[in-house]
Amino acid sequence: MAVPIFITAASVSAELHQAMTEARGLALTAKNARAVAVRAGSKTVGFRAITDFIEELASAIIAQSRVINHHAEKLSNQAVVAWQAENAITFFREVEREKPEHLASIQPRIRECDQNLASLDHELQIGLRDLIGQIDESNKHIRTANLIATSSHVEAATAGDFREQLEVIADNIRKTADRIASHLHRANSLLSQNHRERKIAC
Amino acid sequence: MLATVLYEDGDHRWIMFTRDPGKPDAINNTNHYLVQSGTEAILLDPGSIEMFAPMLSSVLKYVPADNITRMFASRQSPDISSSLGLWDQALPNASLFAPSLWEGFLKHFGMTNIHYKPIPDEGMTMTLGHTQLQFIPAHYLPSPANFHVWDAKAGILMSGDVGTAPEEPGSSHWVDSLDRHIPKMKKYHQRWMPSDAARQDWIRRAKAMDAKILAPQHGRLFKGPQVNEFLNWFEQLPVGVAVHS
Ligand SMILES: [Fe+2]
Repeated sequence: MAVPIFITAASVSAELHQAMTEARGLALTAKNARAVAVRAGSKTVGFRAITDFIEELASAIIAQSRVINHHAEKLSNQAVVAWQAENAITFFREVEREKPEHLASIQPRIRECDQNLASLDHELQIGLRDLIGQIDESNKHIRTANLIATSSHVEAATAGDFREQLEVIADNIRKTADRIASHLHRANSLLSQNHRERKIAC
Repeated sequence: MLATVLYEDGDHRWIMFTRDPGKPDAINNTNHYLVQSGTEAILLDPGSIEMFAPMLSSVLKYVPADNITRMFASRQSPDISSSLGLWDQALPNASLFAPSLWEGFLKHFGMTNIHYKPIPDEGMTMTLGHTQLQFIPAHYLPSPANFHVWDAKAGILMSGDVGTAPEEPGSSHWVDSLDRHIPKMKKYHQRWMPSDAARQDWIRRAKAMDAKILAPQHGRLFKGPQVNEFLNWFEQLPVGVAVHS
């Protein structure tokens, strides 16, 4: 049985919430990097420039996660409405099988519910597709974060006494980026799976 | 579901629906009532999600959907009202008469179409076709905002949880002997009815009605002299007993 969209969407929202928390950690890493770079002085000019990138990247990820989260919550609410309509229709089918004397009197309403559900389902399909697109966008940020981590390692190599501290920071960036990536990946596979299942079901 | 006509005079009818054969054993049996007059009908205590499909089928055996213009929920219990979100899909133009105190709660069942008509604490009279139904206060019996339905013309008092008793499948719809019925009712009434003052006030009003039938939400119905016998028994029963346990 397909996982109901409202559960998928709520799970996606939870993944994005965690991605957002990680991105906040990334912003903190950027602040630490800046402090180290200031103390290290002229040897780490390159690293200082990188910290600006990290900060920008962290706030971009936070903003994007917030948007996706909002969409996922909206989708979850819409899905609950659709589920309620679907539920009613399941019961209406039972009534149709029973063929009570005044069945005809409820059939226009049953048709309305069917149409309503069809359009709700259509909206949900679009919502799911949009969410997948938005997560793809976020993945671009992760690729950037990995590039920054690599550059940070290169810069750290020339930082003399501060090398070790800066390498820890560069590692941190990579690890955080990995964790955000895995939240996005999980969100993406939840959505893709649901999208596939619904296509088969329709 | 089993349908029983309790009263019929021209186009004025009371029908009871109960004992759905497909009902899972784990849920208690419930009585539901449909009152018709002219081209209008009201469904009293529509029931749970579990009972929605059998109820809709049963009701449509007697009246077309357009005639069911109203519903009534005596209180907030799930066995009475959890189907409201589904009835909202089936009868989007209907009105729901229910306690004003429960409005903010009952709407959690997802009623976007049905019009909620709050019954004030003191109760109210409603015209249905050519007849009138009264929503009689029965607060604290057992819910803090609770109403019964009195049809003076038919002489039927729909009494919610008052008079309730568990019943085996296949048994009669009617109480045959109060003495035999008391052991089934006693524990329930002692535990669920919390207030002596509320009970005494209700009994005083119920006795004045001189009902021909007392129709509870679960179990057998009381007819003729058994109505008064029940009221006399209930009058002296210690209630709210869990306080001492
Ligand atoms: Fe009950």
